[in-house]
Amino acid sequence: MLAISTTELSKEFTAGRGRDRRRVEAVRDITFTVERGERLAYIGPNGAGKSTSIKMLTGILHPTRGEATVLGLVPWTQRRELARRIGTLFGQRSQLWFELTTRQTLHLLARIYRLDAGDARRRTDELAQLLDATDLIDQPVRSLSLGQRMRCELAATVLHGPEVLFLDEPTIGLDLIAKQRFREMVVRLNEERGTTVFLTSHDVADIEHVADRVVVINHGTIIYDDQVGRMRRSLLQTKLLEVRFEEAPGAVEIDGVQVTHESDTVYGLVVDTRRVSVREVLDDLLDNYAIADISVVDPPLEQVISEIYEGRT
Amino acid sequence: MSALVAQVHLAARRTLRQPGELAVRVTFYAVILVIFSALWSAATKANGGSIAGYTAHSLLWYVAAAEGSVIATKPRMIETIGWDISSGAIVTEMLRPASVVGLRLAAELGEAVVRLVASLAVGGVIVWLYVGPPPSAAGIALFVPASLLAVGCNLAAQHAFAGAAFWLRDARSTWFLYQKLVFLLGGMLLPLEFLPTGLADVAKALPFAAMAYAPARLASGHVEPWLLLVQAAWLVALLACAGGVFRAGERRLEVVGG
Repeated sequence: MLAISTTELSKEFTAGRGRDRRRVEAVRDITFTVERGERLAYIGPNGAGKSTSIKMLTGILHPTRGEATVLGLVPWTQRRELARRIGTLFGQRSQLWFELTTRQTLHLLARIYRLDAGDARRRTDELAQLLDATDLIDQPVRSLSLGQRMRCELAATVLHGPEVLFLDEPTIGLDLIAKQRFREMVVRLNEERGTTVFLTSHDVADIEHVADRVVVINHGTIIYDDQVGRMRRSLLQTKLLEVRFEEAPGAVEIDGVQVTHESDTVYGLVVDTRRVSVREVLDDLLDNYAIADISVVDPPLEQVISEIYEGRT
Repeated sequence: MSALVAQVHLAARRTLRQPGELAVRVTFYAVILVIFSALWSAATKANGGSIAGYTAHSLLWYVAAAEGSVIATKPRMIETIGWDISSGAIVTEMLRPASVVGLRLAAELGEAVVRLVASLAVGGVIVWLYVGPPPSAAGIALFVPASLLAVGCNLAAQHAFAGAAFWLRDARSTWFLYQKLVFLLGGMLLPLEFLPTGLADVAKALPFAAMAYAPARLASGHVEPWLLLVQAAWLVALLACAGGVFRAGERRLEVVGG
């Protein structure tokens, strides 16, 4: 069953003033579908059209042309109806009332979403526990740190039990532990409640830990769409080898292999798997050198993604 | 409806929890009242005891009511709303299954009612001490709902004016214009009867009169219940206008980037 469907969705903005006034195409003819329960990373460089896409899918922006449905509703004509069934979190825009405590905010949101008072109280307590925010919920929002606030933002986003969760750069500005915690919470919501996740982020770790599918957008157009694992496998044309020799080997010269760094007995090698297999390189090394240790790893996902952005794949 | 009531209630509680801000505003209002009391007392005395039918006694109650009704709303609200629109901060409000302008009005109403009560309580005591009790008990009874209607009209009109930011992307000039209109044509600075006849008639026909002149006229002892009907009509019209402006504006909102 589809959670999101778009067909040739496009959005133009007017930029500049007076004589410099011109139309800018932020999103151009994007077509894709998202199944219910999927965790999709919608990524791209700055200005690619990610946030504009989310704003159209949540009904904030009206498209210039094209079609879209979210949970069977047209977002920009059925915005309020859709708002009851989705949750949206913008990492750079707070939806909390800074003068209120999180509990008061959730109480007010429960009224806005017309939740039963008892259900809302139960759900508030549940979320406070799930998000490890029981000690934060009665503090004024203005006194919370960014990491604490983002946990409360997530509570506010999922209070009404949304079927689709739109997360626009939700981990921006968070420290490593807060980011990790946030990702775990999102995955947990997806696994326990079947919530569809639509995530945009510049943080590759968000994509690796949260998403099972990735759509890459650049210059307003979708340029890649595949499972995260498959993307890594199909686009990897190199392997990284970290070799520790028993004694300094001198020059390491193997066809299809490049030395990236060397320090005494430890060498970093990049294997171009189009020219030579990893097995052949390992055989060569073991036959010709005294090896103390070897590790073989994939290049970081970041590298794969930057290659997609630059159109080198 | 329950969300709007909750919003009013929370906003009122929030304002009460910030006594410092409330105290500054009430003090400012009290200072203005003292200055105007001295000014209008001298002016009426110099004019043979009354100006355009207002004695010093009724004039001071007029000033207390007019200033108190207007000062209850935030001074730079139009600018703030305009900034929220042009910066895109409003998008988080558009994600809720409720009227953006409705929730905003409810929050502002909750805050304004607390300020209105605090200001008028202090203002009433000052004026009472200065010139004695209100000129008419019936007038004061009518003033109570009129002051609430005045605040409602003012809030709705400010939201309607601020909605210009959806098109202009900046509401600072709108705020400047609005402030001057309420000040002069709303009867905040002086009763509209003090203006030249033609201008006074025009001013009375405008919505700004519902925000200061109407409650102040009643508080100054002129028992004219029809003023409440005029205010109620303006409130409905201004609410419809604010709602319409926001609905149209939300449709053409352009927010680029995160």
